[in-house]
Amino acid sequence: MNTLTTIDELGFAPALQQDVLEDTTSDHALLEATRSGDQDAFAELVSRYRNQITSYIYRMTNDYDGAVDLAQETFVRVYRAADRYQRTYAFSTYIYRIATNLAISELRKRKRRKLVSLTGFFQQTDGGEAQELNPPDGRPLQDLELVDTERRNAVQRAIGTLPEKYRAPLILRDVDGRSYDEIAKILETSEGTVKSRISRARGFLREKMRAYL
Amino acid sequence: MRKNNCKLIRRELDELMLGAEWSAAATEHLRECASCREFQVQQTKLRQIVGSLGTVEAPADFDFRLRARLANDAGSAPTFFWTFVRRGLAVAAMVIVIVTGVVVVRDVFRQMENNKVEVAQKPEVRQPVKPDEAAPVVPEEKKTDHVVAGVTPATIRKIRPTQADYRKQPLATKDVSSVGASVLNRTEPAGVSASFPIDASAQSFTVSLEDGRGNAKTISVPTVSFGSQRIVQSGNPFAPKRDW
Repeated sequence: MNTLTTIDELGFAPALQQDVLEDTTSDHALLEATRSGDQDAFAELVSRYRNQITSYIYRMTNDYDGAVDLAQETFVRVYRAADRYQRTYAFSTYIYRIATNLAISELRKRKRRKLVSLTGFFQQTDGGEAQELNPPDGRPLQDLELVDTERRNAVQRAIGTLPEKYRAPLILRDVDGRSYDEIAKILETSEGTVKSRISRARGFLREKMRAYL
Repeated sequence: MRKNNCKLIRRELDELMLGAEWSAAATEHLRECASCREFQVQQTKLRQIVGSLGTVEAPADFDFRLRARLANDAGSAPTFFWTFVRRGLAVAAMVIVIVTGVVVVRDVFRQMENNKVEVAQKPEVRQPVKPDEAAPVVPEEKKTDHVVAGVTPATIRKIRPTQADYRKQPLATKDVSSVGASVLNRTEPAGVSASFPIDASAQSFTVSLEDGRGNAKTISVPTVSFGSQRIVQSGNPFAPKRDW
């Protein structure tokens, strides 16, 4: 016969605690608290999303410093618009939408200025077709870790060459693991469009990454 | 049939999350179709590589920088007033520029209309008229009536006279030779200054001086006629051509 040594071993107790915690510390509740001037609530929101948002924008723009700036701008906008926030969507959808708009806006600015990343090996030609300037070395590397690193770098660069309309859904799906429904809400489009774009994006990537597959 | 099946199966594989179970139909199809099997292997590998990118962490000072940025934004809130003032000034400047532009354009149009009227009226070649042949003075009103004929009231209203207005002035002639001079007698001793009121513009000028001993001297200043006197617009050909 088993004896209970702690209250945590009771089945319902942790679940009950979890429910209570979720009510008071949900994203919506934190934003409500932020609206009423609770700085700690906003700090909690930032700590929850800063890595996700920074990472997402970095995958979109392939520029870490710029991604950090844009991630901060995302939080500034959330803070400023806290009064106008409506609970129509999940907070994550809301903040990702802001981040996506900022990232796409940045990509368009770069396109206008015709900036080429110094670290990138790919360059857009006039026709918009991506061109590989430095094709990967086909010889196998000795160290498996190096191989993985090289693969990751290659895929990051390949993602960077995708058109923005394919890039965002692919990152949200395959890197962040979000559902089609959520991606559709973030990008303000239909699920069918999201599926189609992801499929096309994978097709592009498969072509570019053929040497690694 | 099989091609359609491949398409459907690939779509299903594409939409499934990594590691999720395929349908029985997909499993069956993959067992038979080598092309779809290769597609599935490549697709899985690609998604694994993309998924391995993982999350990039924000820098350690992210929160600090964000707080500083928010504080900076809050501190700059009073600048809203100056932003408003700057916008107001910009709008006022724009209104002034527009109004000035409208006035200038209107003035230019008026001047152009006046020039058109001038061209429509053939200018008479006016010869200098000798005093004997001088025509009687033409009343100015008649002339102006002739000039203004056919012009709308809007064009008559003028802010200031233009060069064309000066050119419209008629010839002015005066014949004063037929008017006799009045005789004035004064008997004051010499050395005393005398003044005689005369209308020099209308009379010839004759002065008779007697010294009281029968000696007399007459000074006659003949009537001076300059012929027809024409008021011209400007004597200086280098003067700027504009309204004064």
